[in-house]
Amino acid sequence: MKLRFRGQLDRVFTIATGLSVVLLTLVLLAILGPMVYRGSSAVFFQGTVEFRKMQKNLFGRGDEQALHAEVAETEKVRQQVYEMIDAFKKGVDVEALSEQVRQIHRQFGQDLRDRNLPAGEYTRLRELTRQIRDKLEAAFRSQDINEIKRLVGEVLKDESNPQLKGTSAEKLFAIARQFLQAAGQIDLGKHQEYALALQEAEGILFHSEALPGLLGPRPGEPPAPLVMLRYGATRWDQAQTLLDRFLWVEHWVEEKPGEPLVLQRKPRAELFPEPLRPLFTYVEQNAGKMLHPRRTVYWQFLRDDNVNSHYFGGIGPEILGTMLITVVGMLFVIPLGIISAAYLVECASDGWTMRIIRMGINTLAGVPSIVFGLFGLAFFVLFLFPLLGFAPRPCILAASMTLAVLTLPVMIRASEEAIRSVPATYKEGSLALGASRFHTFIAVTFPAALPGILTGVILSLSRIAGETAPILFTGAVSLGAVPRSLFDPTRTLSYGSYDMAVGDRLGMMVPHNQYGMVVTLVLLILILNGAAIMLRTRVFKKLRGH
Amino acid sequence: MRKAILSAVLVALATGTVARAETLRIEGSSTVGPIADAFAEYFKSVNPGLEITVNKNGSGNGATALIEGRCDIAAMSRFMSPDEFAKAVANKVYPVAWTIAMDGICVVVHPSNPVKALTSAQVRDIYMGKITNWSQVGGSNTPIVVISRDTSSGTYETFETLVMKKQPMAQGVEYVNANPQAQARVKTTAGAIGYVGLGFLEGVKVVPIDGVRPTKQTVANGTYPLSRPLFLFTNGFPKLGSIPFKFVTFYLSEKGQELVEAKDFVPVTNY
Repeated sequence: MKLRFRGQLDRVFTIATGLSVVLLTLVLLAILGPMVYRGSSAVFFQGTVEFRKMQKNLFGRGDEQALHAEVAETEKVRQQVYEMIDAFKKGVDVEALSEQVRQIHRQFGQDLRDRNLPAGEYTRLRELTRQIRDKLEAAFRSQDINEIKRLVGEVLKDESNPQLKGTSAEKLFAIARQFLQAAGQIDLGKHQEYALALQEAEGILFHSEALPGLLGPRPGEPPAPLVMLRYGATRWDQAQTLLDRFLWVEHWVEEKPGEPLVLQRKPRAELFPEPLRPLFTYVEQNAGKMLHPRRTVYWQFLRDDNVNSHYFGGIGPEILGTMLITVVGMLFVIPLGIISAAYLVECASDGWTMRIIRMGINTLAGVPSIVFGLFGLAFFVLFLFPLLGFAPRPCILAASMTLAVLTLPVMIRASEEAIRSVPATYKEGSLALGASRFHTFIAVTFPAALPGILTGVILSLSRIAGETAPILFTGAVSLGAVPRSLFDPTRTLSYGSYDMAVGDRLGMMVPHNQYGMVVTLVLLILILNGAAIMLRTRVFKKLRGH
Repeated sequence: MRKAILSAVLVALATGTVARAETLRIEGSSTVGPIADAFAEYFKSVNPGLEITVNKNGSGNGATALIEGRCDIAAMSRFMSPDEFAKAVANKVYPVAWTIAMDGICVVVHPSNPVKALTSAQVRDIYMGKITNWSQVGGSNTPIVVISRDTSSGTYETFETLVMKKQPMAQGVEYVNANPQAQARVKTTAGAIGYVGLGFLEGVKVVPIDGVRPTKQTVANGTYPLSRPLFLFTNGFPKLGSIPFKFVTFYLSEKGQELVEAKDFVPVTNY
């Protein structure tokens, strides 16, 4: 009976441990899975023609001719969008037209003066264009299509006038024709309403994020101040979000007074007058042709510098900075940690002082990392550096040393345990053969403790690569050149992730880059750890004589 | 492997003595940081030899760094306090302020909230916990979730001075530590109220305060009650024509103002 119960207990134990392993794996997958998936979208995605334009202009990548052909192709489809709105504008934006006509008249007068004509001739030509101007302005104001036809017809009679041929006044006739054509297409009674719609349409088409975000600025516009505004949607997923925003308006409307408002989605086209509506259908149907999405592997993400606070580009300098800080930090931690551990085990007597030192180490392991950051700033940067004749400024060296102090307790504890667990018989054998204590430690104890020490290395490595707070004040910057020496500050993956999350709104606009950075940090630590674990396995095998 | 790392480090150490290009160090506010970033990127594109580092760890740290000579320009979302000035002068640092842009602190609520306007007294009462339900200020019967920025941010300090009039906030107030987080929290919580900068209004509803809606105009001319200037501080008046001088006066140029506007802040003049 008792035996059977024991067997069952064993089985329950086996199942429980098995389940906990499964649970742990699932939790890990649930956390890492989505993160890795979203992070990988920084490298693998559907890139549009805007992406290729950006790569060519900012990083000089890609085939010039193929890009030209592609741009020309997409521009042709896009041109239609601009033409549609221009056509609508010609009939509606009469104030702009009036201003244009006046400008031409003024320019013509200037040109005439330069030509030194006889006084009579000058006055006659001037009078002629003034009449044309007045008639056109009257036509612009009119809401009667017949009157418009009559006025424009009168204006166009003068087109054959040889004295106007080849002068700046000729442009007047082109405007008159275009206006006549546009006026025939729209309902003139709705002029006011259309003018308002046009204002709004222009706002949406040329000033909001919707269309410029999708297609980039209109060709021929002066370049925007920020590089990020010079390109449209570089990724197809981004383009689809923007397209949705362009096609649909969200309204929060009141259903019952005193109740929360309810979200309503309406096609944006409905808000615009009839002649503008085809524009929305056109954009919806031709988005693919305007952007040319294509499978893209942007592995240079791991190499490139960023543009406009990580809006474009990659995380090359951040990776380099993290590696530098980690490697330099490890150079401090490993020897210091091993020597301290060796002292604690081999040399120190188990007295009162030792107990305080040990307690100090244990306490240090639990101190919040920001405290180390402030200590690093006060001690290394502001005290030690000026003492040694360096400039008191944050840099990689200070950051590494601060991180080394932070992880030293972990390293010491791990190494201490490892050294302590080496069987005393090893040491005794060595000492019995006449070796000194130092020689015994180097030749016998240390190699036997190496796997345990390497565990300490792995733990400190992950900590150093991932910490943010200690380097906040001692060596990390959010923007700066690629470091060229250990006395330069650097960007790092951990601080970069923090900066993207709290600084600008750009982080929210390019979540793929944010995730990409975080996942790279996780993978980097995994790779470093993997390397250390492999080393440990090899050492272990060697020790066992395989 | 170890040898390779060692030699890499030795090489890096050795190159540390190589002459360095001119460096401009900027430290301070995470609100002003984006403007500094944009200016820095533009400056580097026109002065290829120049190196600029930007560190965004808060207005207070920016001031300390300037006082201790760790940076050339301190970016601050508030004016230097009398204490900081006194410390600076004692350290032989003479801070000069440059107002490079204006920012409006917008009171935002979830878009489903029917409330149309609030007075600053009502906002203060909400943050003090005297008003706890939206029905008390003309909204629906929903409990108010109060979101504030953390107490170390310059935005909090401005809000505390302009709205709270130094009255303490209620116990139940939830603190988040950056603009994007405040926005995300309000965007996803019906009944939430928070305050963010002008650039973080997507997906949330802006409530006019004392009858004034925060726009570029109302912020620039100060009619909006929660407007504040953003500063750069230099140690003394920089030498005319020097890089720091060009940097702190860059906001006066059209390009600079365009950049300020592209970053969703309000330029100080109509360019």
